[in-house]
Amino acid sequence: MPESRAELRAIVDALVGDCAASWDLAGQLPNDVLRKLGSNGLLCAEVPKEYGGLGLGSQDGGAFTAYVGSLCSSLRSVMTSQGMVAWTIQRMGTQQQRYEYLRRLTGGELASVAFSEPEAGSDLSTMETEIRWDGDEVVLDGKKVWTTAALYADLIVVVGVQGQAGAAVIVPAGAAGVTVERVANPSGCRAAGHANLRFESVRLPADAVLGGGGQPLSWLFTTALAYGRISVAWGCVGILRACLSAAATHAATRRQFGKPLAEHQLIAHHLAELYTAEQVATRACEHASRCWDAGSPELVVATVLAKYVSARGAARGAAAAAQIMGSAGAQDGHVVARAYRDAKLMEIIEGSNEICQLILAQHAVTTAR
Amino acid sequence: MSNESTTEAAVSTGHLGAQAVTIEQEIQSFLADRTKITVPVDQDLFASGLVSSMFAMELVVHLERTYSIAVIGSDLKLDNFRTIERMTALVSRLQDFAAAPGA
Repeated sequence: MPESRAELRAIVDALVGDCAASWDLAGQLPNDVLRKLGSNGLLCAEVPKEYGGLGLGSQDGGAFTAYVGSLCSSLRSVMTSQGMVAWTIQRMGTQQQRYEYLRRLTGGELASVAFSEPEAGSDLSTMETEIRWDGDEVVLDGKKVWTTAALYADLIVVVGVQGQAGAAVIVPAGAAGVTVERVANPSGCRAAGHANLRFESVRLPADAVLGGGGQPLSWLFTTALAYGRISVAWGCVGILRACLSAAATHAATRRQFGKPLAEHQLIAHHLAELYTAEQVATRACEHASRCWDAGSPELVVATVLAKYVSARGAARGAAAAAQIMGSAGAQDGHVVARAYRDAKLMEIIEGSNEICQLILAQHAVTTAR
Repeated sequence: MSNESTTEAAVSTGHLGAQAVTIEQEIQSFLADRTKITVPVDQDLFASGLVSSMFAMELVVHLERTYSIAVIGSDLKLDNFRTIERMTALVSRLQDFAAAPGA
């Protein structure tokens, strides 16, 4: 089992190579790449070793996520989804569910988690998907949209309403009544397998309901999104590192008006901003991951802060990189062109900039002295 | 925030053992530190709007770290966190479970 950061990177390098551009253009990740990463536990590397995972802490897991994010945000998005499912099962599942499903998630099966609905985006409290008991089974009905990695998934964790509370159920993608439709031409993370889902009277056994169900709906998505947010935040660090590398190299070598671009002050300004964004995002993510590893309650707010700072930094940094690159980075598939499109989506998913701002402002008010 | 008011409000725990009283006081103190309100141990924290879902998660993480327990699976129910008394009962039960032979 791979242990060191260098070993993990070598495995990913061998599988990704220089293919990220073509995957982006095709809108598809190769199945064998996902299966190989998955069966080595690399799609959810923070799952404990007792369940077949690598047992990485948040800091090591984050560094790995950033590395994958620097190569291919679509693949990193699939990792975020798999990791969110694993984390949700780890927290919400019974002992038996943890034992069964976490081993499947580290054994090559792929998973995604479905929150957003046609009428429930940022306001997840308006969710309409219903999970109701019928004898010793549950019946699932509802629609989900923009579910990342659902196109590749064997298992889909669906969050819905159950009576006055909520529940999360593990649904085999092939179960009767499940329809998976690809989201056509997403503007970013084009190969991340976004899909719209329909569940029509899908019958599932009681042991598909995580922890027996009945949790507050908000607890279910607060739990899952905590992992999703720290993962996206580190992914944005990766986007920034890829942009910084491409833009700094270009600015040092491309000559205009008799000198390298980097010696033009207006370009130097862009470079400084890009470097600053990468450093600030890294520090915010490191702090949040240290809180995770220490089991500090501060992890909740530190994670929202890291996601907000990193996504905003990535969107601005990628725009600066695109400006520095000029026509050299203006072709679809190019690392900076991908970053520019992918980073914008990072300001929207897993809690938009505005939702993060509301949470941070609320925190500032309640903790004011 | 004053520690005196925290201690005063916890005095009414009556029949509870000394250890449970300590847990109650500690949770009350954590809540007081974050919300600047000393909450009676039987007050419904969610009905009063004092605890958001984000803060509930902080509470879970706090209890896990402070008492070396894991609050997971079917224990993650609103009823277990509704009052300081309920949280104390949850912590005591999970500590007993962890201490039981063969657990």
